[in-house]
Amino acid sequence: MSGVTRRSFLQTMGLSAAAAAAQAKAEQAVEIVGGVRIIGPGPVAVTLRVNGRELAHEVDPATTLMEFLRWHAHLTGTKEVCDRGACGGCSVLVDGKLVDSCMMLALDAEGTEVTTIEGLRSGGELDAVQEAFITHDALQCGFCTPGLVLAARALLNENPEPTLEEIKEGLSGNQCRCGTYSNVFNAVLTASGQKPIMDGGA
Amino acid sequence: MPGIERPTMNRPGNLGQTLNDDTSRLDAVAKVTGAAKFSRDRYELDELLFACFVRCPYGSAELESYDAEAARAVPGVLEVEITGGEGKYQGQPVGTVVAESKTALRRALRALAPQWRMRQSISGVEEGAGEAPMTEPGPAKLLEESDLVLDATYSTSVQTHSPFETHGGVVHHRGDRAVAYISTQGVQAAADGLDRELDLKRADIDVRCEYIGGGFGSKLNGAGKEGALAAQVSTKYMRPVMVFTDRYEDHLDTGNRPSLLARVRLAYGRDGTIEGGHIHTWGGVGVARGGGGAVVPSGRYGFGQLQRTHEDVQMNTGALRAFRAPGRPQGSFVEELVIDEIALGSGQDPVELRLRLTEDPDFHAMLQEGAERIGWDRRAASGEQNGTVRRGFGCGTSSWGRYPARAEAEVVVHRDGSVEARTGTQDIGTGMRTVAGVLASYHLGVPIDAVRVAIGRSGLPPGPASGGSMTSHNVAPAMKQAAEDAKRLVLQAVGERTGRATDAMDIAGGEVLENGEAVMGWREACKLLPSDTVVGRGEWSGQRGPSERVGEGNSKGAQFVELTVDTETGVVRVERVVAIQSCGVVVCRKTAENQIIGGVTQGLSYALFEEKRMDRATGSMVNPNLEMYKIIGTGDMPHIEPVLWLKEQTGVRSLGEPPTIPTAGATACAVFNAIGAPVRSLPMTPDKVLAALEGGGA
Repeated sequence: MSGVTRRSFLQTMGLSAAAAAAQAKAEQAVEIVGGVRIIGPGPVAVTLRVNGRELAHEVDPATTLMEFLRWHAHLTGTKEVCDRGACGGCSVLVDGKLVDSCMMLALDAEGTEVTTIEGLRSGGELDAVQEAFITHDALQCGFCTPGLVLAARALLNENPEPTLEEIKEGLSGNQCRCGTYSNVFNAVLTASGQKPIMDGGA
Repeated sequence: MPGIERPTMNRPGNLGQTLNDDTSRLDAVAKVTGAAKFSRDRYELDELLFACFVRCPYGSAELESYDAEAARAVPGVLEVEITGGEGKYQGQPVGTVVAESKTALRRALRALAPQWRMRQSISGVEEGAGEAPMTEPGPAKLLEESDLVLDATYSTSVQTHSPFETHGGVVHHRGDRAVAYISTQGVQAAADGLDRELDLKRADIDVRCEYIGGGFGSKLNGAGKEGALAAQVSTKYMRPVMVFTDRYEDHLDTGNRPSLLARVRLAYGRDGTIEGGHIHTWGGVGVARGGGGAVVPSGRYGFGQLQRTHEDVQMNTGALRAFRAPGRPQGSFVEELVIDEIALGSGQDPVELRLRLTEDPDFHAMLQEGAERIGWDRRAASGEQNGTVRRGFGCGTSSWGRYPARAEAEVVVHRDGSVEARTGTQDIGTGMRTVAGVLASYHLGVPIDAVRVAIGRSGLPPGPASGGSMTSHNVAPAMKQAAEDAKRLVLQAVGERTGRATDAMDIAGGEVLENGEAVMGWREACKLLPSDTVVGRGEWSGQRGPSERVGEGNSKGAQFVELTVDTETGVVRVERVVAIQSCGVVVCRKTAENQIIGGVTQGLSYALFEEKRMDRATGSMVNPNLEMYKIIGTGDMPHIEPVLWLKEQTGVRSLGEPPTIPTAGATACAVFNAIGAPVRSLPMTPDKVLAALEGGGA
């Protein structure tokens, strides 16, 4: 990071955040220097729309979406695992697209619609992906499971009948340390109305 | 355990029957909805504090300077303490920071700006390995006189556990008692040491671990240093304190599977029979005192007159810890590949040779079954293929004992018909919660839906730690006894209130039966209980009965791997794995199959990808993250066929560890078969495959 100070980094990030969140937030932490809007270093108010509800918290400007959800909103179905976008444990949907929430600033999520695992159920009914994960035991310890469920949902939203190869590709950003991928593939096939691959043949 | 009620459904590959075929994991809904609260999820606690360690960044270094004042001046920081002036491995704690937020912790560590003077360090087992001892006269003579001798060196990488929930916990001292949410494989043992840190009696400490985000052996160390730090800080501030390693720290200081170096010299006959020789191994234990041994030979195959020696090599790296089947996957890798090299050297078929090297009828049956299922007849002789992409087949075996542990259980029946099965073990993802529920349901005679399972708390009746694959088979007899005791109490109440003869009654399928005829529903029967609850109790001493023969009760397995090797890129692609596994009576099919699938998947990850890579100059790990520390992903996955071996099985046996034992060895044999040259080093990355192809060894 030599040559990039934290302040200049936030300056850059603050610009895009400013565009996303037009309304001024927590003015005490925002200053204009040479026409550039600087957010921080003190806490700023961030309001996000998560699972259809407005959530407002005063957070450090460097707070990631994952940290906002877990540390502040206590929506802990979103997991912190690698904290650098390698494993998908913190996967959420932002405007319907799969995002590693540890790689996005909370400020940048303002003005979007965030869906976490807690919001996937509709009207108390489990999503077809959740049902299929249960049926096929597509989980062990369960720590990567919310991310994998959301990744599968995002995949099916774009490709309602993926082939096995497309499932592997679509879920390639999500790791499972217990090694349950085989069952995950069957769960996604089932959730998309296709026949799972069972043994004794296939 | 009596009978076996249903044939296995939807996996015709399974041989035989299971106790419960279609029950889904009892905590699956909590896990797929995000409702399952792990220890690392306890951010909702009021006034939560955070603490972490200051760690040495190099293999060996002296702390020259630091700015504690600057670190303490960071807003939100409560304490910065430096307690040590040197580090002997990367990740070694030399101080602590306490703060109101994780952000403040991170900023304090940066502001502390420690300056280190690096010293020379040993970061690989090769660097610290001593000379192999002299070979004794007997084996030496065999090696001298035999025409056929295998003389080769094998090595394996350091594998980090990398559980997705890192190591640590949240401890809350509340004055006269404490709650400790520890991510642990042993809720009973997690209180060890916490009593001292908290200055409380054991009875005043409530350890909770309902869910644990991965436990592969490294979370067997009580509350760990993280839990101890949380307890110390909580005792001081009387606030809840969270201490969890981040991903970087987790790779360095929470254990690993040690690296292995093996020098193998074996004399063998023209029929492939191993006459004997000398196997010397070095295990890279880091700063641990020992424990780097590898189980080779395993005892499953005859190795003749063998001298076996071993040296644990201390290094400037984090200490090893138990890792799923400690010493076995690395030992199996050496053993299985050695057998295949001898098979080629003596012109034998590898399966035929294994059948000659073992007399165990189970391994004979499993090897023959596996060979048929994988299509072994399609296997070309090693080194006979010329195409760019070459196909290979390999196999390996496993065995696992049955370790005793004390277990107690309670089955509580309420007047409304609800049932709680209680035992102080935990579910690390194996499905233990579901296994406990199925056992209670089966032996009580009520549907699984009626049973709630309470595990994962220290205050429950004592149950086994999740190590040595010993939870299911030790809980099973205790839970059986508790359920039968509860059944007796319910039937006694029914007998007293209705005048029916108690010994003519039974409970099955949620109905009370009299002489085999249904006379009353379960809920109706429970209304007749004399009190709000009755408690059935069960206890298992962990001792085996006198009737059991030595060796009985082992779980055994055989795995077959089919793969391709691209000889231009060196990339290995595993296509299919047939994994045959016995584990006694299968209590719950779905979770049992999943254990096999997971064991194979982790084994493939070990065989092909995982490696803690060290920079020798600094003694530090160059890939302490999940980007560069490569774990198997969806795109690498073959089709896995778990085959539960249920022929002539009695009792409940071990299952957690055995399926991960033979995978790496079988994979190495398949690579050898495809390209005709052995890759004698794990992981079998493309560079090593290409080097083997060029005859440069690996």
